[in-house]
Amino acid sequence: MTSSSAPSRKALSKIAQNRLQKELVEWQVNPPVGFKHKVTDNIQRWVIEVNGAPGTLYANETYQLQVDFPEHYPMEAPQVIFLPPAPLHPHIYSNGHICLDILYDSWSPAMTVSSICISILSMLSSSTTKQRPADNDRYVKNCKNGRSPKETRWWFHDDKV
Amino acid sequence: MADEEVIMEVQAVRAVYGDDCTVLNTYPPHLHVHIKPRTANVSSQQFVEAAIEIRANPQYPSDPPDINVIWSKGLDEERLKHLSASLHDKACELTSCLMLVALCEEAVERLSVMNHPHGNCPLCLYPLVTQVEQNESLPFMKLMSCFHCFHSECIIRWWKWLQLQNDSNGENSTGTVQSSASKTNQHDIMGNCPVCRKVFHDKDIEHAIKLAGSCSMQKDLAEEEACESASLLQWDLETSRQQKFETILQLQKESGGLIEARKDGVLFSGIVLPELVTDSRTIEQQGKDQAAVEDPESSGSSNRAHKTKQHQRFRQGPTEREPHGSSGGPPPSQRRNAGTGKYYRKTSRPRTQQWIKKEKP
Ligand SMILES: [Zn+2]
Ligand SMILES: [Zn+2]
Repeated sequence: MTSSSAPSRKALSKIAQNRLQKELVEWQVNPPVGFKHKVTDNIQRWVIEVNGAPGTLYANETYQLQVDFPEHYPMEAPQVIFLPPAPLHPHIYSNGHICLDILYDSWSPAMTVSSICISILSMLSSSTTKQRPADNDRYVKNCKNGRSPKETRWWFHDDKV
Repeated sequence: MADEEVIMEVQAVRAVYGDDCTVLNTYPPHLHVHIKPRTANVSSQQFVEAAIEIRANPQYPSDPPDINVIWSKGLDEERLKHLSASLHDKACELTSCLMLVALCEEAVERLSVMNHPHGNCPLCLYPLVTQVEQNESLPFMKLMSCFHCFHSECIIRWWKWLQLQNDSNGENSTGTVQSSASKTNQHDIMGNCPVCRKVFHDKDIEHAIKLAGSCSMQKDLAEEEACESASLLQWDLETSRQQKFETILQLQKESGGLIEARKDGVLFSGIVLPELVTDSRTIEQQGKDQAAVEDPESSGSSNRAHKTKQHQRFRQGPTEREPHGSSGGPPPSQRRNAGTGKYYRKTSRPRTQQWIKKEKP
């Protein structure tokens, strides 16, 4: 079983479909720099190729993001993960889960796939070390039944490491 | 006695603009003036606002003053540029005349011309105002505190969604940051602007409630559903047209016929909900069933409370900083691409904010 499973997903609502159509058209006209949408016939799952920005640790590397849209997108955030192999990054787990607040509690329905992509690229670009999060093994073990990162309770703390 | 004339001119600006004018220096004049479009007395019809700074040197008026737009609401980059350029041109044109009042008037004039909502609804991404088939434009509303505009239907759908999330979170006692925030001030705070995250209150949408008259946002969902039944069950174009027409008439009366009918036909900002009852039920149902829907996927942990909490996470700032205090509003594309790299804080903040992993018993 992979970390990308989401078998019991409900079909997109009409509102979600309209919104995604609109995003897709906008993407085709004006894709975010460094990203390529791999066209499939499934509008509910986008696979997007990410190219590491020049001059960063991830320059000349290519990764794949998988974006799954829930029934009530954009009220609910999409599920965004890296397909294996996930980039080595202090906020990216080896199962592809991404520790980025806008994907979870800080999601806003005014965000788009395009804005998510830009945030993820900015997160990659600003990394100074290529390493996994400190709790990677434990986290990945806990997720091994194919749990979605959206079900993780990402807990915000202000204290030191 | 040129100095005295200039000082008298500053007094004149103060007299005309009252509290909207802050005199930082009388001679040479240095003023901040809060500029609103002419229709601003009808709050539902105001979509832009700006503050300008006029700073003259001792050679004024032979030297035209420097003019800057110091903050604005509702203006995209293009319109901001236009405003600045017009003011600059006007100042050059009037060189060697006393021009402070004239410059403020020019700003009012420009804002009045630009006083319309711009671009797409940030929620559905469809235009707020369609040029061609205005009869089919959905009513929209703006939040008073930030002037971000949404289709009424879209923002209310979002607001209801938040309510449902908060309610179900409350039941499961797994409150998120958002729900606990709104719980403390439940009657006052209605949510956050999806674009800039500014908290919006009842007063932010009061104008829309007043205009709409029929369905109050403050009613609870059940009442609202009842209210929406019958004729409002479906989006009734004829009804909406009539309501728009009445609103226009009303507004025209209030503003002495200043408002152009064609434009305002689509600027109806009521919040009569064309939303289908079935739709909100689905959402409600979904809200209630959410745990049940999600949990089968997480066969490892059948209870939300048992979910693993996490380590460190990349913290993103608000989707958009409102261009208060800066003259450059974000371009529409940037607004849509909310949350770009500029909010990357981790590196600039030495004391890292942390998501740590905690196991619940
Ligand atoms: Zn909309
Ligand atoms: Zn806003």
